[in-house]
Amino acid sequence: MSASLEKGINALREQVDSTVATFFSSCVHCGMCADACLFYTETGDAERTPINKTEPLRRIWKYEYTLFGRILKLFGLAKPVDEKLLTDWETLVYDSCTMCGRCSMVCPVGIDIAGVIRKTREGMAAAGHAPKGLIGATQRAITIGSPMGVKLPALQAQIRHVEEDLGVKVPVDVEGADYMLLLSSMEIMNFPEFIGAVTRIFDKAGVSWTISSEAFEATNSGIQIGVSDLAAELVQRVVDAAEKLKVKTVISPECGHAYFAIRWDGPNLVGKPFGFKVRHILEVLDELRRDGRLKTSGFEEQKLTYHDPCQITRRGGVIDEPRNLIGMFSRNFVEMPEHGKMNWCCGAGGGVSSNERADDIRLKVFQRKKSQLDEIRPQAIISACSNCRIYLEDGLEEYNMEIPVLSLTETLAEHLED
Amino acid sequence: MAPISNDDTFRQSLLQLEPARQRLVAARFVEHVLPLCSDDRIGRALKVAADAEASDDELAGALKSARAAALDTHTRCGAEGNWRDQAGYFVCRAAVAALTPGELAKGGSPAWQAAMSSRMARTSVLISEESDAVTSRSESEWQYRALEDYTNA
Amino acid sequence: MTEIEFLSWVRGPGFQIASIVLVAGIIIRIAEILLLGRAANLAEPKGSEMGNGIRTIFTRSIPDAGTFRKSSFTLVAGYIFHIGLFVTIFLFAPHILMFKDVVGFGWSSVPTPIVDAVTVVSIIALLAVLVHRLTNKVLRFLNNFEDLLVWFVTIAPLVTGYIAFHRIGYTAPALIGIHILSVEFLMVVFPFTKLMHAFTIFIARWYNGAISGFRGVES
Repeated sequence: MSASLEKGINALREQVDSTVATFFSSCVHCGMCADACLFYTETGDAERTPINKTEPLRRIWKYEYTLFGRILKLFGLAKPVDEKLLTDWETLVYDSCTMCGRCSMVCPVGIDIAGVIRKTREGMAAAGHAPKGLIGATQRAITIGSPMGVKLPALQAQIRHVEEDLGVKVPVDVEGADYMLLLSSMEIMNFPEFIGAVTRIFDKAGVSWTISSEAFEATNSGIQIGVSDLAAELVQRVVDAAEKLKVKTVISPECGHAYFAIRWDGPNLVGKPFGFKVRHILEVLDELRRDGRLKTSGFEEQKLTYHDPCQITRRGGVIDEPRNLIGMFSRNFVEMPEHGKMNWCCGAGGGVSSNERADDIRLKVFQRKKSQLDEIRPQAIISACSNCRIYLEDGLEEYNMEIPVLSLTETLAEHLED
Repeated sequence: MAPISNDDTFRQSLLQLEPARQRLVAARFVEHVLPLCSDDRIGRALKVAADAEASDDELAGALKSARAAALDTHTRCGAEGNWRDQAGYFVCRAAVAALTPGELAKGGSPAWQAAMSSRMARTSVLISEESDAVTSRSESEWQYRALEDYTNA
Repeated sequence: MTEIEFLSWVRGPGFQIASIVLVAGIIIRIAEILLLGRAANLAEPKGSEMGNGIRTIFTRSIPDAGTFRKSSFTLVAGYIFHIGLFVTIFLFAPHILMFKDVVGFGWSSVPTPIVDAVTVVSIIALLAVLVHRLTNKVLRFLNNFEDLLVWFVTIAPLVTGYIAFHRIGYTAPALIGIHILSVEFLMVVFPFTKLMHAFTIFIARWYNGAISGFRGVES
């Protein structure tokens, strides 16, 4: 990806639309967004105030898309968008933001700050100011098909492992199946039990499904880095596979940003509506529950809580489903003090966990999650995003907290009636 | 006990063991794949797990150590994955499972989880070698025999 | 210039100039926003845009408990002076008469002693807002000249209005003239500043609700 300041500025210009203009026109500098952002509340660094992260885009909007701003620019009074600004903003836009969207829920004038930050990333990336880890991940995603370099043989080996353990076939490349399951590299590498869990559940519920050998990757690093062209290419692969196999629904696995990317960004990236539905695995499981196709037995006695992955809940709309499912195997459930669409981020999404430079701050802001857990003292945490899971574990370890983190799908599978 | 030939019987047999014995069996499973892990902490943790007289404090300390090792060896989201290293990660996971107190273990059985993760470690090596040797069936078989030996001993 | 000449000017040409700048400015600002347009969302909706957009216009005025705890000063002081401004501008008898001249109809007023008290409370709230703006860590970082200018043009009419009503210092014509001039200053500055939020807040909140609502989340 050849980058330049000029490309960056052009990319920012392309992001200016009526929503961006309305939002920037409305900011009254009240600072409430900072109070809602864990990267500010846990560090006290005022530059991490969410609306401040959008400064590069704001300058483009003001000095090129407003009459008054253009006049100011004519008189040499415009604040510039230059290399220094973008360099200074890199750690704000990438290291200090997961695009969790809490700021967007809180802004009194209604600015979708997280959405604007996402747009700002387009300019940063085109100008070459995205973090190394993300650039590498995206390159691997484009060339190999997975940001972590997971190739088909690896997936096939994991599939064989699952088939042997369960004695159930994992359908691959089955044309005409109802559902096509995507998997995130994180799951394939770090939590492969997920594949087994889904296989068991679908087998018991009699679901017609398949995995595509040509497009099995759910993670979309293009979204995280903020390069729509690359994000579009990754989505197109899924679209092509889904159309080839003539499936009705594509399932996004337990990964937050993957869901947002394919469900909400997907069609807009490739420029046309999908000919199939997209659902998160939790939505599919909840539908099975409602149809009476999920039979479970036994209950977890330990006190459980649920960590809402931001991209699935607040930004994704899947709020009740996980709770319905947890209700099937838990009688001792407690909500975090601020939960559902007002949940606090784990601090690792949106490319932060892929960025080694951000490790320290990620662990520092975990204190927000820690204080939530200190208040309710659960014995285990359930979540539905592999990234959240592992980085919750990382944070818990950092602060010497002994609370296991479980996958919702895996726990549900364990309670399937034989 | 009758010879074990499939995972259903394997799992049932494990579930019948009391927690302390499950831990000892689990430790055996993990020891078998220990060479796949380069983190010294796991070796030490396993010694504690395999010790029938280990105190609760020692076990807690070993669990903590194993967890830290697991986190250190996981592949960061978006980083270039190395399946050989991932084998080590799964060995750590297996050790964590072995040391996790019964009630908190997945599937109700620490030993089952340890067995699964151990097999995953073996599979990872096969992936890294791009081997068409297909499966870690051999690891499962070894585990069945190991459990039989343990219960018959 | 005599007091009467001054008053005549501010009520005449001054008001005309300020009105033109205000109205033309608002129209230009809103036009340059809306003309940019936005792309249609091609994803499968989970909820309605229009309905949720309208809903958020109202619900965004009611913060959730956690947000209130974290930002209580901003919210409380903000509500006090906004409501205060509404009462003093639109529910004060002499102002309603002025509006009647401009738009052709009036409405009922709130008793003057109440408006008087509201004015004082609003001024105090705005003073507190300034102190907060100058001492709070986040605000000190965000502050620019515009923030201070807008604060000034907002409090000036309240202060000059109070002084004019209570005839403190100068004669009535001069004080009223100064008060009207302060309002004209506010009007002229309005379209160039964040005061535009008085109008754009409806659009922004609508967009916010629409964007979230499309995804099935009430924001």
